[in-house]
Amino acid sequence: MTRRTLISHLALAAVPVWGARPRDDHHTLIHVFLRGGADTLNLLVPVADDRYYRLRPSLAIPARQAIRVSEHYALHPAMQALEAAFKNGRLGAVQSVGVDNTTGSHFDCQDQMEHGDSMQGAAAGGGWLGRFLRQQPSGSALAAVAMGKVMPESLRGAPAVSVMERMEDITLREAGDVAQAKKALEKLYGAEVTPLGQGGRSTLELFQRMASLQGRGDGPEHGAHYPEDAFGSGLREIARLIKARLGLRVACLDLGGWDTHFFQGEATGLQAERIKLLAEGLAALQLDLHDHHAHYTVMVTTEFGRRVYENTSLGTDHGRGFALLALGSHVRGGRVLGSWPLTLQDEVNLNRPGPGGLTVETDCRRVFAEVLRGCFPGQVDLAQVFPAADLTPVGLMSAGA
Amino acid sequence: MMPLSRRQCLSSLALGLVSCDRVMTQVYRNALGEGLPEQVPLPPAGGEVDPDFHLLSRATFGPWPGELWRLKRLGQEAWLEEQLHPDRLTDTACDWRAERFESLYFSAGDAYEWRKPVLRDEITRHTLLRAIYSRRQLFEVMVEFWTDHLNIDLEKGDCIYLKPSDDRDVIRKHALGNFYDLIRASAKSPAMLVYLDGKSNKVRQGTPDVPNENYARELMELHTLGVHGGYTQRDVQEAARCLSGWTFDRNRFWALNAGESYFRPDWHDAGEKQVLGQRIAAGGGARDLDRLVDIVCGHPSTAKFIAQKLCRRLVCPEPPQALVDRVAAEFTRTRGEIRPMLRVLFRSPEFAATRGQLFKRPLKFMVSALRALRAETLAEMTVVEPLQRMGQGLFQHPTPEGYPDDELPWMGTLLWRWNFALELAANRVKGVHVNLAELRRDLHIKPESWFATLIGRAPTAAETAALQIPAEPSHVGLILASPAFQRC
Repeated sequence: MTRRTLISHLALAAVPVWGARPRDDHHTLIHVFLRGGADTLNLLVPVADDRYYRLRPSLAIPARQAIRVSEHYALHPAMQALEAAFKNGRLGAVQSVGVDNTTGSHFDCQDQMEHGDSMQGAAAGGGWLGRFLRQQPSGSALAAVAMGKVMPESLRGAPAVSVMERMEDITLREAGDVAQAKKALEKLYGAEVTPLGQGGRSTLELFQRMASLQGRGDGPEHGAHYPEDAFGSGLREIARLIKARLGLRVACLDLGGWDTHFFQGEATGLQAERIKLLAEGLAALQLDLHDHHAHYTVMVTTEFGRRVYENTSLGTDHGRGFALLALGSHVRGGRVLGSWPLTLQDEVNLNRPGPGGLTVETDCRRVFAEVLRGCFPGQVDLAQVFPAADLTPVGLMSAGA
Repeated sequence: MMPLSRRQCLSSLALGLVSCDRVMTQVYRNALGEGLPEQVPLPPAGGEVDPDFHLLSRATFGPWPGELWRLKRLGQEAWLEEQLHPDRLTDTACDWRAERFESLYFSAGDAYEWRKPVLRDEITRHTLLRAIYSRRQLFEVMVEFWTDHLNIDLEKGDCIYLKPSDDRDVIRKHALGNFYDLIRASAKSPAMLVYLDGKSNKVRQGTPDVPNENYARELMELHTLGVHGGYTQRDVQEAARCLSGWTFDRNRFWALNAGESYFRPDWHDAGEKQVLGQRIAAGGGARDLDRLVDIVCGHPSTAKFIAQKLCRRLVCPEPPQALVDRVAAEFTRTRGEIRPMLRVLFRSPEFAATRGQLFKRPLKFMVSALRALRAETLAEMTVVEPLQRMGQGLFQHPTPEGYPDDELPWMGTLLWRWNFALELAANRVKGVHVNLAELRRDLHIKPESWFATLIGRAPTAAETAALQIPAEPSHVGLILASPAFQRC
């Protein structure tokens, strides 16, 4: 950071009141990450492919239990809450998306995906959402939030990220003179030309923003009922922030528990529980934000898919390609894009983390770019966010939305 | 330290019977090595962190009042040797606080009789109390290091029942011992067998069983060689074959060791294996695991990976290659002995040159604040909860790589650090007792010397100006909330 930007930062921090500034172009990208490598073969079930049933004698979702959405595909029965969204075209999918990383490592693949990097070429630096946010002119302290306790890698490098669980969390608990304590913190962190200084200054800005919001009665609308866990409450808080029009551009939320090496279950069981949580959470969000339907897009990703055949522990091991989901008014949904590159070859080589599964057909960066283009038309320089990547449109988002 | 007299023992027993923990520890603080010397020299006055304060900040969870002057009297060499041989340090005061948790004494299989909230509470508080009060501080620092390295999330499967014995028999048993022994113990640990699915890694003869590769992969990627350590997918699969048959089943009612892991020959792939270019002959059975551990631990990438990780945790985020190489060479020379690596590391000029460059993760921040203010606590919910908000709930990292060392992932939760600092100094954290005036008297310092005492150097002009706040709790709270106290 240069001296000049430091000074302008301090000036910003000193602005006393931040009114909620309504903006016409506001749109929020809600990024849901399914941590652990979700088995999307059981989420978007290839009911028309016998090989799937043959290789998953115990784990396959029977066609009669699944929700048929096309000739080839059906939704897992636990996806019922999103059936209407798919059928009326608000929910769409791209099949066999992934990273070109072949380690089969959760962390490597998550990092590569969240950084928007490739095994080829140099790292672009920071996370892909961080790079996008750096391009945005508004210095809103609430341009990006991560619901939970840890900042995801995708937001690395963003000018300001708030990690929180509830809006009301944001207050300084000083029994003495609060203004004096804030002033001291402003001086201490203002003088730090480091990420720590940046972190401190963002926190101080946040106090100001929140002060203008707290105490409003803004429960879920239209009878929306969020699942009662961290995922549900995270979505509920994101909806509050969107309704408050604070300039929120990106909200990140994790849903874990997808590393189903062991007793994955089929129509019911471990994975079905996770799918149900995902579907009911997103359905509640959609209902709650009914009056704001054009102002958000949800993108659901995971680090990799899983192999088509089941292992002896009635689970599935790490694969490559997976189905990416997107939900919102700008999504051209109701269909599954991409082909069906299932391989059963048992050849073990460095290009596949073991046999059997979807190969990667669409680089995830192409889809991320498409989503950014659809959410923030004309406001993003994609070549900077994903240097040297093929960013040909995928057809997931409506053009010029 | 002064030995306890019979009278002191008896009276402490009597006090213990009426369960006056606080009174007891207050009375015996001096006798148990937590007290302050009669004459405390002035706090550090230089513009750079005092070198002895620096060693204390890294090799412990932060200086306990008085420990700086003890170190200065002993000298760095003698102090370090003492810490490297924790058995030589009496830890009675800590034991009194931390040995109250019964669920930690059970074998893996027998812990199932405890309720989950009790287990979660006890292992978490035990860890916190040891970190805050143990005099074997370097040992506790290494316990934290290996707990991350061999991360196990209590919330996965049955891990909550199995982690207490893993903490005791794997992590704490080998924290300053030998790396090969540590990995071997971890490979057979019921908690690890459940956490990374080794438990169900089976290859039955005459069936199309495919091994479960989860543990084998993390063993190479995270525990030994590192992700770019030069292994292939084939190596992972071969390692999984070596490990097949090692399992855990607490319902073996006929077995005397139902609480332990065991080897099932009928689940083991008996064929020949080839791992990292080394051949493991067919028919090795249970011994395949030992061979595999020797192969992966002995690989040159492992020495580098562990040395790099130790330096990142204890020296600086981008450790100089020369230092990493020397620590790695020590690993290779001693075949994985942990103590000699730490000796090389802490005695190095590179270490001495990194004062104030390391970011404190939430646990370290919180514990160093509690220690610095000589807080009296039993680490109940009011302490555990803020740590979770700061992002480092103990034994809760969901994925096997453990909590990150980097600074950036923790930037979104500074608010919780500030709030904890302010409430702690104001003695407003329930279940935690702090007395600033008393501590100041015992340290013989003036109110304006708090900064130097807590940070280990004189404040800059800007820091002095920012902290011009007459109310002592606010002043001290803001020092703990300041950027200087977020680093060490």
